[in-house]
Amino acid sequence: MTAIHQFSLAAFSLLMVLFSASDASAQCRTFTKKRCLPQLEDYVQNDNYNTAVLIPGDEAELELTFFGDRAYRLLVCGHPVLGDLTFQVLDSRGNGIYDSTDKESNHFDFRVANTQQMTVRVQVPTTDAVIEHEGCVSIMVGSKG
Amino acid sequence: MKRAFARMTNQRLTSAWIALPIALLLFSCGEASQDAGQEDQPAAAQQEMNEEGMMPARRQKAFKKIFHAVPSPIETALLLERSGIRFDAGALNAVDKATGYATTEAQAVNLGIYAGDLSYSVIFNQNQASVDYLNTCRRLCDGLGVGDIINADLIARADNNRDVRDSLVSIVTETFYALNGRFRENGMEEVSGLMAAGGWIEGVYLGTRGIDGSTADLQLRIAEQKMTLDNLMGLLDSYEPTEALDRMQAALEPVEAAFAGVKITENAAAATAAEDGTVVISGGPEVEFDDATLMAISKSVAAVRNQYAQ
Repeated sequence: MTAIHQFSLAAFSLLMVLFSASDASAQCRTFTKKRCLPQLEDYVQNDNYNTAVLIPGDEAELELTFFGDRAYRLLVCGHPVLGDLTFQVLDSRGNGIYDSTDKESNHFDFRVANTQQMTVRVQVPTTDAVIEHEGCVSIMVGSKG
Repeated sequence: MKRAFARMTNQRLTSAWIALPIALLLFSCGEASQDAGQEDQPAAAQQEMNEEGMMPARRQKAFKKIFHAVPSPIETALLLERSGIRFDAGALNAVDKATGYATTEAQAVNLGIYAGDLSYSVIFNQNQASVDYLNTCRRLCDGLGVGDIINADLIARADNNRDVRDSLVSIVTETFYALNGRFRENGMEEVSGLMAAGGWIEGVYLGTRGIDGSTADLQLRIAEQKMTLDNLMGLLDSYEPTEALDRMQAALEPVEAAFAGVKITENAAAATAAEDGTVVISGGPEVEFDDATLMAISKSVAAVRNQYAQ
């Protein structure tokens, strides 16, 4: 094999790597648009892109200001292969306000009386599976009223 | 013998060329840390995430992904409308200035500024202005290499729905969500951060025109932006530093100084169920400010806005 062929092969391999990484990200955008966005229903979507590829045991955290006298839907939307994601809402002092553990829903609807900063903490459950999978997780916030 | 040795060497080299990027990937995937941007781990060349958004894991070590979010320009415009503000066409950034924004930095910040103007126009039912500002955003997106997101079909859809505010709101939020996603996919976090900053600046700028004679509700909403500025600075800090991001952070320092006059006392929040079953989160911070602080905020935000929009 000539040096040119070797170089071409290496360049191709690297391009495949870069394409695949970008593709995974693009797939998450498609996943979010198809599977998550409709679940916001009539809430106006926040345009921030809070989506990541996560594996079992990962955590994600979102810090955001919620405005007073406005209704919100907080939606934690993950690929089913990751299992039941759990999430908590904490106030600005780190005190728990809501915990989704043992609840059926993947979203939390609430109204905020006074504007405040809150943190949303999401956990992907660990697994004993021999082959772990990674999947897209999106934290979406919609508002209305 | 020499030929056989050469063939063997070539085979080894070929294997090495294939193995090298894969090995680099495997090593780079093993050390994920607690920070933003870590989700963009490179993929193994042979694997592709399926259409449903999952695939075998490419790393073993768990990490914590931290997102920072700021209110979208549409949310800010809705707050302004509810606070009794009047539409002021003269406060918007002129659409014909868009052609003068030649650098990526200027295009990114002004895309955010125009997104603020677009949202303001949509919420106040300024139909022609809404379509004009969407077209202006398209021009800047072309310059940033993401012109396909605001394409002719989207403009036509907006034009056909120009009298339906809810449809325009959906179009704007979906478009800017797609833009943020694309910037992330393309490794253009700097552009995403600058656009978010531009949108925040324009929202506060529009809200503070004529702040001295405004309603108490609007004044409170402006003072509360101290919290969203904190979110914005966190967002800008989370990205790999660049000269443009550094300049934006420096430009926002006087704004932070002005907002320092707003006193926020943190109190515990609590969730309670209202009579209709809605969960209401009450408590939380108390916000105190005076007129001088609002004037300082208004002046500092105008200065940074005009610096970028000139």
